[in-house]
Amino acid sequence: MAEKNIYKPIKYKVDKIVTETPLIKTFFISADQEFEFQTGQFVEVTLDGIGEAPYTPSSSPSIKDKMELTIMNAGYVTGKMHELKGGEKIGIRGPYGKGYPIDKFYGKEILILGGGVGLAPLRCLILTLLEEEQKFKKIDICFGAKTPADFIYKDWFYELKKHKNVELLRSVDKADANWRESEGVVTVLLDKIKTDFQEIVAIVCGPPIMMKFGAKRLLELGVKDKNIYLSMETNMSCGLGKCGHCAMGEYFVCKDGPVFTYDKIKDTPEMVDFRKLFNKND
Amino acid sequence: MRTYSVSLKQWVKILSSVTTKYNVFAPIQKEDFIDYELITEDNIEEISYNKAKPTTPLKAFMFPIKENVVKELKKEKRIILGIPSCDLSALNILDKIFLDEEFLDTYYKANRENTILIGSDCYEIEDSCHCKSYGVNPYPEENSDISFSLIDHKVILQVYTTKGENFISEFSDKLTEITELPKEIVEKRKSIIETLNLQNKDLPDAKETRKIVMKEGTVIWKKFAKDCVSCGACAVICPTCHCFLLIDKGNFEKVKNWDSCQYPSFERVAGDEDPLNKIYNRLKNRYLCKFVHKPDMFDEIACTGCGRCVDACIGKINKNELIIEASK
Repeated sequence: MAEKNIYKPIKYKVDKIVTETPLIKTFFISADQEFEFQTGQFVEVTLDGIGEAPYTPSSSPSIKDKMELTIMNAGYVTGKMHELKGGEKIGIRGPYGKGYPIDKFYGKEILILGGGVGLAPLRCLILTLLEEEQKFKKIDICFGAKTPADFIYKDWFYELKKHKNVELLRSVDKADANWRESEGVVTVLLDKIKTDFQEIVAIVCGPPIMMKFGAKRLLELGVKDKNIYLSMETNMSCGLGKCGHCAMGEYFVCKDGPVFTYDKIKDTPEMVDFRKLFNKND
Repeated sequence: MRTYSVSLKQWVKILSSVTTKYNVFAPIQKEDFIDYELITEDNIEEISYNKAKPTTPLKAFMFPIKENVVKELKKEKRIILGIPSCDLSALNILDKIFLDEEFLDTYYKANRENTILIGSDCYEIEDSCHCKSYGVNPYPEENSDISFSLIDHKVILQVYTTKGENFISEFSDKLTEITELPKEIVEKRKSIIETLNLQNKDLPDAKETRKIVMKEGTVIWKKFAKDCVSCGACAVICPTCHCFLLIDKGNFEKVKNWDSCQYPSFERVAGDEDPLNKIYNRLKNRYLCKFVHKPDMFDEIACTGCGRCVDACIGKINKNELIIEASK
């Protein structure tokens, strides 16, 4: 058998596009062939002739011929992505990176902390967990957004609330007159969780600033560093641990991550606080 | 390992017949630089044997500047003759990146497989040469199929691999097998090592350099980065730098194109976050990558002491001067 070409994308068709917020859209795509991945892994999406960018699917890995990608308009490729109308062909390479070690979570309480478009990969994780919900003690979900209008997957929250084993808490940085839930940065929700933090697994995904303060607060509450899972955001080109763009300390974030437990990165200053990289003495 | 001897005159005849079957590349002296050229009847007599490194690093043959990695791969049988030891050692890092079992780069693999590597002793060195400081000898010891030395109008070939044996067998009737390496070569090697040691006597070794790079805060990087213009020449010319950008060519084709952490926005992400936004951060990143991160990842430093980055820098940043200054 010929060796696989690691650089060649599989073609997918864009079936449907849903506008989640003014800046975020979900793309429903499908292919003729099945695609296997694990929750936490990501794919490289090609916009033909324009460029490529990495995203974690927001749909469950158990659906193999279709995929959903929730993407914020934040740069060149994502901007072009947002101009799609549906019906176009896009390319997918992957899956890349290490997935969440779900089997390690069995029997435990899982706390999921997410903000903004960080809910996209977490949706994939939560859907996966809910497929075998009885295997986990409890699932606490703490979601944050800037304003109530900035929440993605608004309909999905009603679904989540139906699950007995799930506790869903939400906060917004800036509430409006109709908001009945928490106000403040997403970490304020952690204080509402009553649990033995030493025993739980915590999963954090969101903007870098949220990850930093989220991890800090979780550590203060007693969560073990090896039980805190953080999704790192870096520039990526190949996704294969070769092009060097995502190199952070001794890791290629694409291949060794993108999800890292806190104990693995606490001694890598570039990872823990990457914007202050080398700048300590400025 | 078998060793053969042949007169230079006869060698040129052999090589000439070889060029009909293979594309042979060898270093040729130009006005003020030396570089690989495709060998033909017209330039076969001009090959510069056993000089210091050619300008182009060996990596360019395996990991070309631009390579379409979706289109079908061209299979070209090649011989590269006259490769310095620093470039051969650099393949250790490139092989770990591109021949990684999880994601095998079939283009790199084919380029490697289709090429016969003939390494050569360096009998002349340049001011920037410092392989020995990082444990690399100035003669082929690894990653070479055959080694080549020209001494007293005689060519000595040592064969290391089956690939090398098979190639040599095409003309072994014209060679004389000898039992050991001529004394002159052993002595020449010794004297080159002494010269290298002398010209780099103040330069710390790899382990020491790692410690120095790790402890440096910002002062030294800021000082040397004043002359950096982010041209990326140091990375382009480096035999171990492997960074690239996959460029979208349309029709779902991708071009693997050399890139460098010295260019602005190499690590920039959406929303304009850029951990390497300052020139001195990028400069430090280069040294961290070479002497700290690559050893952590692969147990191997990513500098083989070729000194090309010292020669190529248009801001005249001398890597060795930087390390020596930081060591004080």
